[in-house]
Amino acid sequence: MVEIVSAGLIGLSLGAQYALLALGFTLIFGIIGVVNFAHGGFYLLGGYVAYACVSMAGLPYPVAVLAAALATAALGYLFELLLLERVIDDHLSTLILTLGFSLVITTGIVLVFGPDAPLFQFPVQGVVRFLGIIVPLANIIVFAICFAAIGVAYALIYRTNFGRSLRALSEDRAVAEALGIRARLMFPLAFALATGLAGMTGALVTPILSLTPHAGEPVLAASFLVVILGGLGSLGGATLAAFLVGMIEAYAAVYLGGSKGALMLFVLVLIVLLVRPTGLYGRTARGA
Amino acid sequence: MLEIRDLTVRYGGILALDKISITVPKEETVILVGANGAGKSSLINAIIGMVPTAGGSMTFEGVDLAKVAPSMRAGHGIGYSPEGRRVFPTMTVRDNVLAGASRIGRAAQADVYDKLATLFPMLRDKSDDLAGYLSGGQQQMVAIARAMSASPKLLLLDEPFLGLAPVWIQQISDAIRQFSKSGVTVLMTEQMAVPALKVATRGYVMRGGAILREGPVAELRSAALAEEYL
Repeated sequence: MVEIVSAGLIGLSLGAQYALLALGFTLIFGIIGVVNFAHGGFYLLGGYVAYACVSMAGLPYPVAVLAAALATAALGYLFELLLLERVIDDHLSTLILTLGFSLVITTGIVLVFGPDAPLFQFPVQGVVRFLGIIVPLANIIVFAICFAAIGVAYALIYRTNFGRSLRALSEDRAVAEALGIRARLMFPLAFALATGLAGMTGALVTPILSLTPHAGEPVLAASFLVVILGGLGSLGGATLAAFLVGMIEAYAAVYLGGSKGALMLFVLVLIVLLVRPTGLYGRTARGA
Repeated sequence: MLEIRDLTVRYGGILALDKISITVPKEETVILVGANGAGKSSLINAIIGMVPTAGGSMTFEGVDLAKVAPSMRAGHGIGYSPEGRRVFPTMTVRDNVLAGASRIGRAAQADVYDKLATLFPMLRDKSDDLAGYLSGGQQQMVAIARAMSASPKLLLLDEPFLGLAPVWIQQISDAIRQFSKSGVTVLMTEQMAVPALKVATRGYVMRGGAILREGPVAELRSAALAEEYL
């Protein structure tokens, strides 16, 4: 029983992390129509910015997380405005550009910080014990912050003029523009929101997992898995799928072992796609 | 209010509009009638900026529309309800309507919505429903209300009666008359000439991307013309 509950709590924590990552990933696809291969790179950059703030600048960890979110949001904004916007209507070019930018981020990090994993630990250590269940305090804190950030992201998208305009652009760009919603103004902001979420997740999660120049690759793979399962472009689908994937990973790790757990995930995705080719809540993308 | 001179639109090698000229005077309701493929929607899409023009000029209140980006034309006072409604299907009715009013505050948005709901009561009853699940007539009301939410000076209605039952056509016709009474200039296209001519003051008959005839609707309503063109 203790094992089941412990695995469930870890699954929830993983799910919240995946949800925060996948929200940004699916937001970019749903609104701008771009599959952002640099998403893992922004996650990675968030981790390294937080590390630099804490270890080199001596800033408190919460400030470092905020700085990571702001820095990755700013970089995402500039990337969309100055580079991606020029090829926004060509799917192949956006794919190559985002993939290339991901490589630039990774290489840049290796040049600045070196190829080895730096020592970056979550500032709060210890565990919480309750009825025999042991949960690391860091996981609880990260889960709470991720969960709150998901709530804020949802409120922003579903309760504000900004979010309504983004959703309108996602539904029908031409009509939204005819209503006065400026895609050229909104797209960089949407990109900044997504990359800021990825950077914040990196700052929160890498001290628990690991911070290496290649930590972004599995994150990109996980984001793909989650948004494909949830349905490309669907925020609700991505959130649901993120928690589903988190739970499956956690329980599979306990009861099946590492590689079998990953296999189980891919089997699940295959089954879902066979039954629902657009994912749990999917729809088709904006046309190029 | 809107002056179009020698406007040409091409889709590749196909000529959609061939040097057409129309005038939409302030506070009038002008109708463009013609069969499918006459060029009515191409004209509306050119005004709103959805299709590029290949020649001619469009002036709205003295402003050259060629120098105004499509997303800025709403800010100049041009509202648009597209052919086929094109509501945002996974957004609520309220969000659809207010998508056109993003530049005003929440209180003003609530006022705008309430005013539009007096014209279209379904906006009140179905404000939280997803627009994609509404009937065609209800979707048309949402599309028109969305276009009106920014309080435009000129309302462009592309085939507002298309595929609708008479009861919906009547309600939408009443709403267009109300807009006109409140000082909004209307330019609408329609294949269903009979109900459209009842709400308009002036009209143009189009065929093959050209204007065949223009004048007050009383002239256009004549039986011979209706038989020949409408």
